Amino acid sequence: MKKKALDYLLAFIIIISLNFLLPRLLPGDPLAAIYGEEALIAMTSELEAELIERFGLDKSLPEQFIIYLSSLLKADLGYSYYYETSVTKLILGALPWTLLLVGLGLVLSTLLGFILGLESGWNRGRWQDKGILTGLMLLNGFPDFFIGILLLLVFAVSLGIFPLSGALTPYTGLSGFALVRDILWHLSLPLAAVVLSEITASYLLTRTTVITILGEPFILTARAKGLKDTAIRYRHVGKNSLLPILTRTGIRVGRIFAGAIFIEIVFAYPGLGVLIFNSLMARDYPVLQGIFLLVAIGVLATNFIVDLLYKKIDPRVV
Amino acid sequence: MLKINDLKVCYGNYRILKGIDLEIRQGEVLSIVGESGTGKTTLALTLLGLCQGKVEGKVTLEDENILTLSEDEKRTLRWNKISIVFQDVARALNPLMTAGEQIMEPMLENKLYSLEKAKARVLTLLKEVGLSQGCADLYPHQLSGGEKQRVLIAMALANNPEVIILDEPTSALDAITRVEILKLLKKIAAGRTVIVVTHDLSVAAKLSQKMAVLYSGRIVELGETKKLLQNPKHPYTRGLLRSFPNMTTTKDLQGIPGRQENVLEGCTFHPRCTQKISRCEQEVPELEQQADRKIACHRGGIVTLLETRDLVKKYNRVKALDKVSIELVEGETLAVVGQSGSGKTTLAKCLMGLEDSESGEIFFNGSKLVNRKKEFYKQVQMIFQTPQECISHRLNVLDAVIEPLNIQGIGSREERKEMAKKALQEVQLAVDDSFLKRYAHYLSGGEIQRVAIARALVINPKLIIADEPTSALDASVQAKIIRLLLDIQEKRGLTMLFITHDIALARKISDRVAVMLSGRIVEEGPTCEVFSSPQHPYTRDLLRAAPELSSHYSQETKTLQYCQVLKLQERSGY
Ligand SMILES: Nc1ncnc2c1ncn2[C@@H]1O[C@H](COP(=O)(O)OP(=O)(O)OP(=O)(O)O)[C@@H](O)[C@H]1O
Ligand code: SF4
Ligand SMILES: [Mg+2]
Repeated sequence: MKKKALDYLLAFIIIISLNFLLPRLLPGDPLAAIYGEEALIAMTSELEAELIERFGLDKSLPEQFIIYLSSLLKADLGYSYYYETSVTKLILGALPWTLLLVGLGLVLSTLLGFILGLESGWNRGRWQDKGILTGLMLLNGFPDFFIGILLLLVFAVSLGIFPLSGALTPYTGLSGFALVRDILWHLSLPLAAVVLSEITASYLLTRTTVITILGEPFILTARAKGLKDTAIRYRHVGKNSLLPILTRTGIRVGRIFAGAIFIEIVFAYPGLGVLIFNSLMARDYPVLQGIFLLVAIGVLATNFIVDLLYKKIDPRVV
Repeated sequence: MLKINDLKVCYGNYRILKGIDLEIRQGEVLSIVGESGTGKTTLALTLLGLCQGKVEGKVTLEDENILTLSEDEKRTLRWNKISIVFQDVARALNPLMTAGEQIMEPMLENKLYSLEKAKARVLTLLKEVGLSQGCADLYPHQLSGGEKQRVLIAMALANNPEVIILDEPTSALDAITRVEILKLLKKIAAGRTVIVVTHDLSVAAKLSQKMAVLYSGRIVELGETKKLLQNPKHPYTRGLLRSFPNMTTTKDLQGIPGRQENVLEGCTFHPRCTQKISRCEQEVPELEQQADRKIACHRGGIVTLLETRDLVKKYNRVKALDKVSIELVEGETLAVVGQSGSGKTTLAKCLMGLEDSESGEIFFNGSKLVNRKKEFYKQVQMIFQTPQECISHRLNVLDAVIEPLNIQGIGSREERKEMAKKALQEVQLAVDDSFLKRYAHYLSGGEIQRVAIARALVINPKLIIADEPTSALDASVQAKIIRLLLDIQEKRGLTMLFITHDIALARKISDRVAVMLSGRIVEEGPTCEVFSSPQHPYTRDLLRAAPELSSHYSQETKTLQYCQVLKLQERSGY
């Protein structure tokens, strides 16, 4: 585990260094690389001088790095001239919604996929298996945003059960339980879209894992011991199947985040996805850079958590 | 009592078990041996109701047919009445559960004990199988192969079942651990009904009183383990024994020809059997009682090819053969050893009809030999001690080897030549024209002896009587020719009467040995037994005189006591 922690530290340092180095190594004006051409056009020469001063762009690279690090420590990710506010503030405003959407989406899709995969693999070749497999393969055929649009059209536009957009009903001043309900109500459709587009991956992985594990000699041992089906299914097959699924979860965070960007846009859900989209349109580089740093760290953190969980389940890992 | 009646299992269209009948009495240890893929594990799984194939027949435990039980009833049968130690030790335990949890699982599942009591029982069981209590909290990856095996054994004992099945209980273990586990198994087997499934004959020998030999889904031989191993009567059992490296038998390893096929008609072993008759391909032999065992073979097991009863031959007043009775079974080498003048060659000549015996009888293939016809010599060939005497000096090499083919009228002229060349090649001789045209009396001693061997082998006889066939050859050529003879024996069941005074050679090539002294057979038996515990003092002398490679002086100073006595007797005109 010590070695693992060191690995994570190393990865973290590399991410930060890249984030620092990449814009500065690009050919041309570093300020343009950091802020985008458009921001510079509208900029006065005093402001430009102030920025050069602030990033220490006239100093040597190591000195710039120290300046960069110290502003990171102060949670200062720069200033967005498009939104006219600090990047940190912008990101913090959007982050909770994305965390909610992606986090819950990850957990739910993994869990549901696992349950369905276990059911399917255990009943391999029987009607349960065939039914679930066909359904999910069909679902997998649609692009992520398409599922979102479909949900939106059916449940929000036609049936009107769920809101069309947003994460909250604005200006209601709700609090407590009512607020939670409102949030969940808004979350439902985007979350469903994320889960639906993500579930197949974890389902398929679970199913194949279960099928492989069912062929393991220790399952035969469990059968010979006269254990009941439920005991075999959960205690022996289920627990052992969890391992590869956990490993894959760490890898899937990045992908699921990318998928969530489109879904957020479809539902105008005010998370990082929408922020990325708008910043891209406006070429607001500081925001983009801040988000990428955050996402990279997020992926790293998830993997770390996955490793911790893995260690809890698998005694072979030390 | 566990009874298996006409048990058949097939996976799809592939028949694995083709009618097994077995009875295992309470407290008995039965081993089921056979090559990989003969269906041993399938049988074990069927007894637990875990076989995935289609099962027919009856398996009765306490008057209850296991095969017709409902799934729930089968579940209560498992581990409570029959438990198993699986073959694949390394992977038979769940990697995510501790040893203790896994041993405890079946006790709790059946609510036999409270959690407290179950935990206590785990510790008792661990102690019983020779593990420390700490092992209960270890995961499988923290245990060595031997320890895992012990945990599996403890687990099998958990619910105190009447029947325990051991599937290859030691195949994954190193030699030392193996011995320890065998000891443990022997201990726990006491008082229980145990079925040991294995291809390791030494495990069967150590653990079981009764042994069933399974081949391609049928039992071919069944009887007391000791008797089957000492004196296998089914060709397959003998093949298994010959291919099993061990410290008891001394003959070079020999395999079984061909490989296991899924035979649909007749004896399942017939494609590999060297003594099959036409009936073997059509009818399935029943497992029948034959003296001390049951055998499934149309010929009643390995047949006796040649037998002599009380053969007597006198030259003047010297008895060269004095009531000699030998038996030679199909595919076996009988070594006849003894010093020169003990009557070995006379025996060979009488068998071949080159000398007439005064009294006694010779049987070949079950019928008494009165006069030998051409047919006899097609099946029986002799390699003489002094080949110069039997190969006419007017023949060249090629003609000498072709001669037997001409006599028997086998093949066309071209074919005969090819057969002769092949035989010459097999005995490591040249086949270029200059050599083929050379006359026998120009050949060296070693060469002419090999020509004689080629001449005997060329018509592919069933029995070879070889009188010191390799004594004129240097060791490396001799080794190749011995290998050749043993290979032919393996492939076609060549039977050999091998006369030699080279004890070390006899030890490597023979299944049985007969020791001759002054025209009498003074000792006879399986080579390994005769050589490891010789009964007759003369045999002991022969063994002392046999070549060794160690440099201890004791070898040279060994006294050949009995021979000295013999010499004294000769000198005193006795
Ligand atoms: N579930 C199955 N489906 C189809 N074929 C099977 C199945 N299980 C075993 N077989 C086949 O049945 C034959 C007998 O297998 P089994 O495991 O009983 O052999 P075995 O005698 O135990 O061999 P070994 O000594 O190698 O353990 C093999 O040819 C195997 O491939
Ligand atoms: S002799 Fe016939 S029945 Fe006997 S083992 Fe050989 S093939 Fe089978
Ligand atoms: Mg097996």
